[in-house]
Amino acid sequence: MAAINFGYTISKPRAIDIDRNNLRKSDEILREMPELQACIGCGACTAVCTAGCLTDFNIRRVHTLVRRGEYKGLYEELNKCMLCGKCRLVCPRGINTRGVIMLIKRKLGDF
Amino acid sequence: MKRVIIIGGGIAGMQSALKLKHRGIEPLIIEKETELGGKLRGWYVLFPSFTPASDVLNELRNQVQKAGIATRLNSTVESFDRDHVILKGGERLDCDAVILASGFTLFDARIKEEYGYGLYDNVYTSADIERMLNEGRVTMKNGERPKRIAFLHCVGSRDEKVCQKHCSKVCCITGVKQAVELKQFFPEADVFNFYMDIRMFGPGYEEMYREAQIRHNIHFVRGRISEASPTIDGRIQIKAEDTLTGRPLHMSVDMLILLIGMRANDDNASFARSAGLERAENGFFAPRDQFLGNVESNREGIFYAGTITAPKNIGESLNDAAAVADTVAQYLGA
Amino acid sequence: MTFYAPFCLPFLLGATFMFAALVWKWGRWLKRLPRKDKLLIRKGIFSSATLRAIREVLLESLIHRKICRVNPLLGYMHMSLAFGWFLLIVVGWIETVFYMGFKWVPVQGHVFFKYFATGIEHNAGFEFLMDFLLLMVLSGVALAWAKRFMSRRMGMRRTTRHVPGDRLALSVLWFIFPARLVAESLICALYGGGGFLTGSLGGVFAMVFPRDVLIYLNESSWWIYSWCLGLFFVALPFSRYMHIFTEIPLIFLRAYRLKSTEKVSSYDHFQIEACSRCGICIDPCQLQSVLGVNDVQSVYFLRDRRYHMLTREVADNCLMCGRCAERCPVGIDLNTLRLNSRDKIRNMPADRRYSYLNGIDRSSGTGKVGYFAGCMTLLTPRILDAMNRIFTASGDEVWWADKEGGVCCGRPLKLSGETDAARKMMEYNTDLFRKHGITTLVTSCPICLKVFREDYRLEGIEVIHHSEYILRLIRTGKLRLEHGSTPFTYHDPCELGRGSGIYDEPREVISAVGTLLEPRDTREHALCCGSSVANTAISDAQQLKIARSVTSELEDTGAEVIVTACPLCKKALSRGATHEVKDLAEIVAEAMKQKFS
Repeated sequence: MAAINFGYTISKPRAIDIDRNNLRKSDEILREMPELQACIGCGACTAVCTAGCLTDFNIRRVHTLVRRGEYKGLYEELNKCMLCGKCRLVCPRGINTRGVIMLIKRKLGDF
Repeated sequence: MKRVIIIGGGIAGMQSALKLKHRGIEPLIIEKETELGGKLRGWYVLFPSFTPASDVLNELRNQVQKAGIATRLNSTVESFDRDHVILKGGERLDCDAVILASGFTLFDARIKEEYGYGLYDNVYTSADIERMLNEGRVTMKNGERPKRIAFLHCVGSRDEKVCQKHCSKVCCITGVKQAVELKQFFPEADVFNFYMDIRMFGPGYEEMYREAQIRHNIHFVRGRISEASPTIDGRIQIKAEDTLTGRPLHMSVDMLILLIGMRANDDNASFARSAGLERAENGFFAPRDQFLGNVESNREGIFYAGTITAPKNIGESLNDAAAVADTVAQYLGA
Repeated sequence: MTFYAPFCLPFLLGATFMFAALVWKWGRWLKRLPRKDKLLIRKGIFSSATLRAIREVLLESLIHRKICRVNPLLGYMHMSLAFGWFLLIVVGWIETVFYMGFKWVPVQGHVFFKYFATGIEHNAGFEFLMDFLLLMVLSGVALAWAKRFMSRRMGMRRTTRHVPGDRLALSVLWFIFPARLVAESLICALYGGGGFLTGSLGGVFAMVFPRDVLIYLNESSWWIYSWCLGLFFVALPFSRYMHIFTEIPLIFLRAYRLKSTEKVSSYDHFQIEACSRCGICIDPCQLQSVLGVNDVQSVYFLRDRRYHMLTREVADNCLMCGRCAERCPVGIDLNTLRLNSRDKIRNMPADRRYSYLNGIDRSSGTGKVGYFAGCMTLLTPRILDAMNRIFTASGDEVWWADKEGGVCCGRPLKLSGETDAARKMMEYNTDLFRKHGITTLVTSCPICLKVFREDYRLEGIEVIHHSEYILRLIRTGKLRLEHGSTPFTYHDPCELGRGSGIYDEPREVISAVGTLLEPRDTREHALCCGSSVANTAISDAQQLKIARSVTSELEDTGAEVIVTACPLCKKALSRGATHEVKDLAEIVAEAMKQKFS
């Protein structure tokens, strides 16, 4: 179905507005896996990522967005993951990345 | 005359011995290598002033020799307590106090198998680069000049996967220093430093970092290299995420240099057991107090100097040595 | 002779209820079996499989051979209860026939024969035999009591914690046979007869109590005996004792080659309710022995699943190393049940997932031999390098499926329960293998190996692990190795050993290059490295703790080098080891006489 073009587009604000974003799910995720907070954003997970080699899937970015309350489209994004576990082998902070991915999917997918 | 045994003849050990001697205490240095000097023997120039390491080393060695300080080379310590040291082979040396200055061990880069050290040509460690600089010959395996060089920070530091959680402190500045040195060696080459955080903790360090960026055109990429693999033409293909753009980054380089960290010595564990000493989680010894007792151990008569308690730079280790001499002198009532 | 007395009522009602419940349960499970399972039954029932099943029922359900092997004392306890009780029933029936001829006797007449058969001449042989059997069962009961209080003596460090229904059934079961002993002895006290046990005890009773008291006690004791039986039968279908009867159809269905699959099916019920909750699976679990996690083991998983109280936490927290399944005396397919529970919790339709795989091909080279390194192997380049040198030496032309990064084999996703999504990857890789026309597929990752063998449809392509490939090269003389003096020890990867039954090939390869020293737990009983992709619940620190416990055992052998045959095990063990950890391929490449630049 083609979208109707009214001659203008509603563009999403570029800023992450922590005041507006609902951090409930993010808080729940961090409560279940506090180790996620140990991430230092080195990007090693994304660099080794099997799916990231083939798509624009970026696990570091996705989980950071979750922590900022920007959930939109992330469930679909996480569905690109193959859960191969390479990221867990390289994480210098020892984060259970596979567990994190499954947890975020569960929280965002409500199951 | 009171006698103090110093375990380890690196810079901290030599400096402690000198300062004790000046106070009329008889030091004895026990060194497992064939000569004094420790790790400094392997370094080329020191950050951030580019002072030749040999200047510092020779000065200390000369002073030690001039002061007539007793040394036992090629001797490994089996165990010790505050009043004696037992060498491998069983020889017992009595003393009135012990200073533990046996330093640190360089992380074995082969453990991070994914970087291919010891497997691929042209993957080096920061220690290899110092050696090559000392030899005056920095080249690729095939003798060619590298056109693209990558440094990787935090190899064997801040990495729970190799059970080294701590920051080794000096690798960042070493990486900047070596990047500048290689850039000066190979002005035509592009140099990339892959980092997680850049920690410039000492005087003149931040300035040197800025110089490296502006004057030497070193590229700093925020992302940890996750894998390296060989290319058909003998170069190294590296993978990282360029976290500032949020995209995976692949590139091939002629040299990959791993900035290896400082880890606790293997024999720290047995020393701690035999002498009843406390260690931190990372395996280094824990001083009695971080502020007012940072060269003292939890046991009377046993003292620390240098990197035995944590990664330190050379200036800090030398200061430790002066402090420990003062503390030991006070302890011995001299 | 009449064969009815009011005290029989609790027994009769209980027994009726139990059989009705059994028929209802089994009937429902059988009816709901998938078509292909029903077909298998129809095919198998009139074949030799039935005979084999009968034999197995005798050996396992009655004699408990497997438990006897794990622990003779525990085995005797189970055997004396099960086989003893069975013989009591059979011999009791023969006894009735002996006295009454082939006359119809109601079931309570057999069970309470001693009560009704007071007026007849007793045969000393039967009296002895029945007493002997009763003693055998009682000794089992005594051991069961002892097990409650001193489980360590029975070779079990931990025993199962039970649900309330089990406790009722268990308590009643403990009293059935003491009650029977007292009841039969009292009958003997009143009317004579009885063997060395009931007869003697009856003699004592007769001396101690006056006759009117004996009559009163006798009547009460038969009531108590009947109540114990009745209550036990009522509790049975809801308790772990359901295993007594369920193991029998399970053995038959297994003989007909019914299997649990990645999706839950009706057959699972037979497996789940055949668990006797003996708790033998608890001790081998490293989550228990190393981490002190003690509510996730197979026995608890099956219990929770049976009573519909399975949580995701319990289903997820398992290494799927298979050490418990290896010991399970009932032979329950524990990993598959755990897997299909995860599927039920987490599987989602995956039609639109991984569409990005279309048209991707990052493979290189050409050859009839394909090499699939696996995701993890890309992080252990020493294995890749060694394989490269071995392939060169072999003279085989090799197609490299994923040197530059490929698509995951799908097993990690499957193990997490997303089985439909995993299929997508399996389809992708299958197409890739077909497209490049390989006839042999070598992998150095046992995780990939297992999924290639079990879930891929690769007819015409032989799937082998690199240990098998290397051994083949050695045997055919394509690889000439220098035998050195290095003492090696070998860690069996779970997916390779217990998972794929490959134990001897790696050992033979190691023996070709050096000396092999076996650790304490080896082969079928080998420990898990702790980093299994099947477990997404434990933390990095917990993985490390398990790895350290494993490496300390490996290093205790005195070996200089720890050898394994899985990139993930290698990574995991390297973290805990003070010795060098190498893959099988590495030590082979180092020992090759042929030199390549």
